[in-house]
Amino acid sequence: MRDIAVRVKNVSHRFGEEDEARNVRALLDTSLDIARGELLCLIGPSGCGKSTLLNVIGGLLAPTAGAVDVLGKPVQGPMPRDIAFVFQENALFPWNTVIENVDLGMRFQGVARAEREERARRSLEAVGLKDFAHHYPAQLSGGMRQRAALARALSLQTDILLMDEPFGALDEQTRMILGEDLSVLLASTRKTIVFVTHSLGEAVFLADRVAVFSARPGTIKRVIAVEEPHPRKPDFVTSQKFTALRNELYALLHDEIRKTVSAESAPPATPGALS
Amino acid sequence: MPAAVMQRIARSPGLARLGVIVMLLAIWEAAARWVVDPLFLAPPSRVVTSLGAVLGTRGVPAALQITVFELAVAFAISVAIGLVVGLVVGLHNFSRRSFMPIILLLYGTPQVTILPLFILYFGIGPASKIAFGVTHGMFPIIMTVAAGVQNIKPILLVSARSMGASSVQILRHVIFPHMIPSFFTGMRLGMTGVLLGVLLAELYVSTAGIGYFTTLFTQNFDPTKLLGLISILAAMAIALNEIVRRLEVRFARWRD
Amino acid sequence: MNAGGARSTSAAGSHAVQIGFVVGLVVLWYLAATRWGVSSILLPNPITVARDLWEILRTGEYVDDLRVTLTELAAAFAISATSGVVLGYLISRSTYRIRVFEPLFAAIYSVPIILFLPLYVLFFGLGPPSKIALGATISFFPVVLNTIAGFGYVDRLLITAARSMGASDYQLFRFVLLPAALPVILTGMRMGFTVALLSIIGSETIASLAGLGHRIVHLAEAMEMARMFAYIAFVVAIAAFLNVVVSTLEKRGRRF
Repeated sequence: MRDIAVRVKNVSHRFGEEDEARNVRALLDTSLDIARGELLCLIGPSGCGKSTLLNVIGGLLAPTAGAVDVLGKPVQGPMPRDIAFVFQENALFPWNTVIENVDLGMRFQGVARAEREERARRSLEAVGLKDFAHHYPAQLSGGMRQRAALARALSLQTDILLMDEPFGALDEQTRMILGEDLSVLLASTRKTIVFVTHSLGEAVFLADRVAVFSARPGTIKRVIAVEEPHPRKPDFVTSQKFTALRNELYALLHDEIRKTVSAESAPPATPGALS
Repeated sequence: MPAAVMQRIARSPGLARLGVIVMLLAIWEAAARWVVDPLFLAPPSRVVTSLGAVLGTRGVPAALQITVFELAVAFAISVAIGLVVGLVVGLHNFSRRSFMPIILLLYGTPQVTILPLFILYFGIGPASKIAFGVTHGMFPIIMTVAAGVQNIKPILLVSARSMGASSVQILRHVIFPHMIPSFFTGMRLGMTGVLLGVLLAELYVSTAGIGYFTTLFTQNFDPTKLLGLISILAAMAIALNEIVRRLEVRFARWRD
Repeated sequence: MNAGGARSTSAAGSHAVQIGFVVGLVVLWYLAATRWGVSSILLPNPITVARDLWEILRTGEYVDDLRVTLTELAAAFAISATSGVVLGYLISRSTYRIRVFEPLFAAIYSVPIILFLPLYVLFFGLGPPSKIALGATISFFPVVLNTIAGFGYVDRLLITAARSMGASDYQLFRFVLLPAALPVILTGMRMGFTVALLSIIGSETIASLAGLGHRIVHLAEAMEMARMFAYIAFVVAIAAFLNVVVSTLEKRGRRF
């Protein structure tokens, strides 16, 4: 049995007080074991709680019920030495250059100055931004900014990486390229990665396992295994195995997505109403 | 005017602007020379040639120095107070909600009504000018600093926290740099306020500052020297404003 | 996470702090004037001030000064508003003209125009005309700059669409340009009004024979502290009232 890096134990989370009109049950009794070195995707309809779960795992949010153990230790707050985040939006500090951003992350973590320069250089090279070290985020494209955010996270040399729809704001083609590069990059490290995404193809391409969420209040409906070694080749995407898995995900998600959308809007008018 | 010149002007607004200014100066010159009683208006040509005489008038250079001194001190104090109060008010939601309305209220009142009060309290020397300058200059700085601290994108704070930054580190490496452009905008506005406050106080009552000389030249019906002195002060104001404006542009570079 | 509940209690809390702050200030004032031996030359008894204020209001003693100030304000604003809007419209008709004049106006406005007061006093004397002239000069700029911005930067697409539907010049003005520009112009007029009020009170304080600003100075020189405080309160209230009226008009106009 493999080493368990993250153990989620019956986590529930509610926003707002029970008697308030605005209370939201984001997560309901969710449990999950994430093995060391695996890449697990969380996928589900909007508002199903996948980002909430990620924040709970990372110690940014205390759940209203349940607990999480990371590397054997209970999570009670951010654990910067063990967990690094990559967010969807631009979380780079706009007044710093790329390399200054990477350096600052390590400063927060407490890395000694002598080591920071070397680590920064290596992580920027790993993501292909070596020539853009002294650029400001505003001067970079969306894809490059996310590479920079990834470099910052990598330089922290944590065992665990939590990524919250990191490619969500990018166009399809950039996503594809970044996905392939990520796969190559991570094949060479032994990090445990939890990756939240909306994209079915992205989930199948990147993940070792995919946890499918139900509609709100979210809970894990099913976990699907993708047995394919890393680094994944681009032609994996066109294989039958890929298509079968993608279809399976689609079937699981379709009802949940419909449920979410109909909960947010009125049902369609009956045909007779228009005449 | 020859066609070629017209064409040049048509292509360059800057040149046309110069032309407008020249035309206005010409009208001023003509009016002052031939239309208006010389007791009330002096032509620009004479104003320019008498600038030396203005500066040579006993007490004027010292008065200018005192005014610059008042402006500098008032500005420094405004910046200090503005920064501290702005940070305190901006950092905590509660203090912001409590004190911002009060600050806005104070900022909106016509401070010029209490100018005589300032003189009564601080005397007719530089102290009252400095104090009045500070009350005009500090509010824009408080408000822009508070805004700069307060409108930071939450994701930046979350990101820093996730990397293990302490509160001090967040203040120093995230909140402070984020607030800097707003701070410089505030300083530009603060400089305008300080200029207004100090000059108002000077014009009201002054025994050794430039207000003394504006009154003197007015009462002596000496428009030449009066215009000369005002031109010097205007040039000074423009220079000071330009300096803060340049600083603002320099330090706001990472914004958009 | 008790987000909603926390928010409403802290709103009540901040109101409590504000009220406490104001009440505390008044209490301190009262104690300082009566118990702590601060001389009444510096700080009059708040009760005396209130009594004087009541008397001023009751007897209508303020009427003459108020009339002077308001007439000056009305005249100055009438001049600056009409000239500002007309000139602004004419300039906005061509991009070239905008590029020539807008930077010119912006540059002049950046100088503290209060400096011109001695000139106006020399030219017009100490009576209302000098205050009107200064008020009109200062308030001209926000109006003209905003009018240029309002008319000049109307979305080209809207104009093209109207033209393509056959709109005449008049129709274009009435149904496209005017409604599009109105909010910005109204803001400019509000700013002009506020600044005219401030400059008129200011110039009355510095050099005048009548008006509310002058009255305050007169009382200060006579060391009638309580009465002066009463008038200051009165002027602040009038200014606040006028500002609220003007702001409301601006907002109403925007809801076209």
